[in-house]
Amino acid sequence: MKGEAQTDRDLLSRVPTLADTSPRKYNKRRRLIETFLAVGVPGSLIALWQLGFHYEWIDNRFYASPWEIVSSKELREAELWSEMWTSVQRMLKGFFAGSLLGVLLGVLMGVSRLLRAALDSLLTALYTVPKLALIPVFVTLFGFGDLPRIALIAVTVFFFVWISTMSAIMGVEDGYREAALSFGANKWQIFRHVLFPGALPQIFVGLRIAAGVAVLMLIGVELVLASDGLGALIEKGRTLFLPELTYVGIAFAALLGLSFTYLVRILGRVLLPWAPEDQTPNQN
Amino acid sequence: MRKRSCKIEAREVEKVFSADSEDEVHALGPLDLQVQDGEFVCLVGPSGCGKSTFLRIVAGLLNPSTGRVDIRINPENPTPISMVFQDYGIYPWKTVEGNIRFGLEISGISKSRTKEVAGHWLERMDLTAFASSYPDTLSGGMRQRVAIARALAVEPEILLMDEPFAALDAQLRQLLQDELLAIWQKEQRTVLFVTHSLEEAIVLGDRVIVMSSRPGKIVLDQKVPFERPRSPELRAQSDFNEFKNELWLCLKGEVEHYLERVNSVEGKIGSNDEG
Repeated sequence: MKGEAQTDRDLLSRVPTLADTSPRKYNKRRRLIETFLAVGVPGSLIALWQLGFHYEWIDNRFYASPWEIVSSKELREAELWSEMWTSVQRMLKGFFAGSLLGVLLGVLMGVSRLLRAALDSLLTALYTVPKLALIPVFVTLFGFGDLPRIALIAVTVFFFVWISTMSAIMGVEDGYREAALSFGANKWQIFRHVLFPGALPQIFVGLRIAAGVAVLMLIGVELVLASDGLGALIEKGRTLFLPELTYVGIAFAALLGLSFTYLVRILGRVLLPWAPEDQTPNQN
Repeated sequence: MRKRSCKIEAREVEKVFSADSEDEVHALGPLDLQVQDGEFVCLVGPSGCGKSTFLRIVAGLLNPSTGRVDIRINPENPTPISMVFQDYGIYPWKTVEGNIRFGLEISGISKSRTKEVAGHWLERMDLTAFASSYPDTLSGGMRQRVAIARALAVEPEILLMDEPFAALDAQLRQLLQDELLAIWQKEQRTVLFVTHSLEEAIVLGDRVIVMSSRPGKIVLDQKVPFERPRSPELRAQSDFNEFKNELWLCLKGEVEHYLERVNSVEGKIGSNDEG
């Protein structure tokens, strides 16, 4: 998109392109293309999938086609929606508990070197433990109810939010801190006016990643402790040999992840109007 | 004296910035300008008059909204145009030498030649002792020297400088002006130099172009009446100050104009207020 219309080998010309002469039209066209891609790419993949069934490239006994999924009777049954609701509630509870703790500890460790020294290596070691491996421990601790499931999601979310919050707080530019110090701000004031708002954009990046991870963990836990929820539905589909049930569950999990991540992103944009937008497809 | 030909020709160049659904900012023009080969042209004007915008158009970083800029270059030269920025120009993750080599590496010049040229500019800019230091450890003046060395090392035909000394203190600024003067007088290149400082423009330039407040147009295009080679002592001459005052009278009106507008309704100045 460089305006270098080279008419001659020794002539370099800077001339307007469509983007410069009629920016409105250009932006409109670009948005149209972007929307087309955003809908078209997943759309054509689904179409290909359906086509695969039609021509029997894919084994109909073990897999379900998009059409079977959409038209399956499970979709119209209340069971699915109540399982979904169970899952959503779990995820939200786990996410909020985990992010609250993550932000709290991240902030504390971000401002205190001593706390960092005390906990950094310990938490980093725990961070790498696969959380699903902790299911037996959590069941022993919290019993068989909802609690071990929520706690596992919370723990997973916690680590992501903790790390991004801590590095965000530490990464706030010294110049901002010094400006506040020069006005005689005390520690709390520096935190409230400088460190926390300065770190928030980065914290929200962490929250967004954690939102996706929360869905991963949710389904993982429900698959293992398969009594109810979307994960249990997926597992049920497998054991009862109902592939469309499994795929309905997977599709719902994907949609849940997509909408929850978007929700966190929109929340971030509303709360932080000053922050630069990070890699969004929606710039202008 | 070599034959002078037109190096840069701008015809009816205008730039309008329009963010979506927000109102448009008419930043520049229409502007017509001819720069001869080997000429040192300084652009001065109030904040937001579009002088940096024009420089960016010449550099190919922006396109004009209407009009065109034609630049005569030698097609054999891999880097016909290089630019020195006010800041953000040099990379903190490259050493001083690495930064100077950057342009050469991009243009695909041989390793041995790159080393030789980089060595030459390190010496020329008095940076040899800092060749393997990172920019973060250098003073502002040295960093800007690195930026100038990087831009000149590729032997551009046209050097674009966007307020290169604005962030420096007055003494350093003068020192670097003198250095640039000496370099330019030795190996004349076409230079477009954007500055806020009239003194800087007169010391360095063959021509000073005063631009109006937004949308930037040329209000005065004045040849600098001082002989080359110039020496730093020029600044103390009485006719230097006379000339400077003459230009200031012209510029003052535009600056006042700019202030009036800033103080009135206009709450929002676009992100390009340096332009």
